[in-house]
Amino acid sequence: MKYFIESKSGRTFEVEVTELGGEAMSVTIDGREISADFIDVDGRGQYAAVLDWRSFAASIEETDEQHLAVNIAGESFMMTAFDERERAAQAVAGQGPPKAELIKASMPGLIISISVAVGDELSAEASVAVLEAMKMQNEVCCQGGGVVVEVLVAVGDNVDANQPLVRLAPPEES
Amino acid sequence: MAVRKVLIANRGEIAVRIQRSCRDIGIETVAVYSDADRNALHVRYANQAFPLGGNTPAESYLRGDLIIQIAKQSGADAIHPGFGFLAENGKFANDVIAAGLQFIGPSASAMATMGDKLASRAAMIKAGVPVVPGSLEAVANADEARKQADEMGYPVMLKASAGGGGKGIRVVHAADEIESAFITASGEAQSAFGDGRMYIEKFIVKPRHIEIQILADRHGNVVHFGERECSIQRRHQKLIEEAPSVVIDQDTREAMGNAAVEAARAVNYESAGTVEFLWSGGKFYFLEMNTRIQVEHGITEEVYNVDLIAQMIKVASGEKVDHLAGRHPRGHAIEVRLNAEDPENNFMPSLGVVDNLRWPGGPGVRIDSGVYPSMEVTPYYDSMLAKLIAYGSDRQEARRRMLRMLQELHVGGVKTSAGIALNVLQSEEFIEGNYDTGFLERYMEEERHHDIGEEAPDDLEEIAAIVVAMHRQRAGKRRAASSGEGVVDSWVSAARREQHSRGN
Repeated sequence: MKYFIESKSGRTFEVEVTELGGEAMSVTIDGREISADFIDVDGRGQYAAVLDWRSFAASIEETDEQHLAVNIAGESFMMTAFDERERAAQAVAGQGPPKAELIKASMPGLIISISVAVGDELSAEASVAVLEAMKMQNEVCCQGGGVVVEVLVAVGDNVDANQPLVRLAPPEES
Repeated sequence: MAVRKVLIANRGEIAVRIQRSCRDIGIETVAVYSDADRNALHVRYANQAFPLGGNTPAESYLRGDLIIQIAKQSGADAIHPGFGFLAENGKFANDVIAAGLQFIGPSASAMATMGDKLASRAAMIKAGVPVVPGSLEAVANADEARKQADEMGYPVMLKASAGGGGKGIRVVHAADEIESAFITASGEAQSAFGDGRMYIEKFIVKPRHIEIQILADRHGNVVHFGERECSIQRRHQKLIEEAPSVVIDQDTREAMGNAAVEAARAVNYESAGTVEFLWSGGKFYFLEMNTRIQVEHGITEEVYNVDLIAQMIKVASGEKVDHLAGRHPRGHAIEVRLNAEDPENNFMPSLGVVDNLRWPGGPGVRIDSGVYPSMEVTPYYDSMLAKLIAYGSDRQEARRRMLRMLQELHVGGVKTSAGIALNVLQSEEFIEGNYDTGFLERYMEEERHHDIGEEAPDDLEEIAAIVVAMHRQRAGKRRAASSGEGVVDSWVSAARREQHSRGN
């Protein structure tokens, strides 16, 4: 199977993995073949990888199948990985209309302030509220931006993790 | 009266740290715990453990009366407050003593003087300890503030007398900014501390935060254990500390040490404490005194070969500290605070369940921690997971050992400060020891904080991509194999497969 991998730094890689039976695999990255011995240590995301006789201890955490964090020797990489089929499906889905956004609390806490009101137009990653948790005040931001259609909490509210705070409609096409 | 059993009115890393010293000197420990902490290491390591109930600090570790009652019930003869929670609460200290127990820390009056910025400044000036040039009393209003600032020269700092945690502080660069700064900072202090009194200090440009560890007994002896360099910080949250500091020579160490000893004497201090100074261009100025054991005390213990927690307990038993005077630092120690937080998201706390925990080991490694696999990081408490301490015969050896520790370490399930610490330790500024308290904030604004460190192979990102592809291939295979069993989490199915292969 071929995988299209994009790192948060913006670099992209094409990796083709071929099963050779059992644990053995052959790997080609950007057209270059390397020898790979890849052992799942404990079934919990710890891998002992030997690539062209270079040894790495790698840990993987999945947000979901396509979004993963890799840690090797203290360095972390956020990666998105799509296989051939997913990439084709994504290309089709990408042509649809922009999506509405529901901004949620990332953790339980107290709403200290809300900086938006219904009708406000927000750009990407704009701040919408301040949430206090663990003695720290944290900004809550939107992702893609849009128009505020609903503010679901008030200053002083205690909120749970993943509780919706603000609903955005897609930004208006100009 | 000799202390035999200590109740530790705290949790997490510092509670475990105190228990370890108690074991080392043959003292029994009593733990208290909130509902959320029933499984915590500090409960499991204690000789006795009592529930406080609740989850939030107010429902649990701040319940001084209940904690004192448990101490009496358990037969403890002293209470160690650790840091945070009740550690600098004068009423609690007095209540402990009134209950016939030892409070392992300073007196309430020392806490009160040092806890008020204006009162502590006045006490330091009287004791001959250098302070940042500024007003001796609260300034009445914005006009008065401007008059004093004009005389002092800009930039100046407006500070709340009751201040702390960065609240009620403004830097003022010019006369026309001072009125609005005074009004907003004073209002902030009034709402945060119920005390809007403000004073003015000269703003020290690009200072270093250097602090002196002191230890005082109840017989009038005060000794110091040199300095800790704590300038790698962000919004007053320290990330990396080291001892000794590269800018402090032996003469300055003695001068600062003596100033710190005088500061402690001025308030009849007892127990361990830290006198914080701002250092700039060879001059040092008293900032504040922290009337408790501090998070970063471990690096001092390493270079001075002393157990400060054990010494605090001995002081509470009436022992003297004069035999510890006149020591010199040996070697070098660096501490990294391992916090559950996301440096890429404004250091926001990262909640979750700790998974795939792998601690470093080997020469020069010390880990002070309360973390265990499957521990839940909750929003109720501080986000510090552990303190990683590297010791070496010199600064370079300590730094290289800390790099090794951070390379071996793995903490899954939550995001941590380990990665950014690894980067900072490889920055030119850290390697040369050329940094100030503004360094970390500036560094986080720069692109290079994303860079892969020089210690890592150049193609590590490519390696990571290969690992991701191979992981996905394996996961896909597992899913295909388990598709007959309905929807199963890939980890679960892997664990199941392993069980089958073991012949269950």
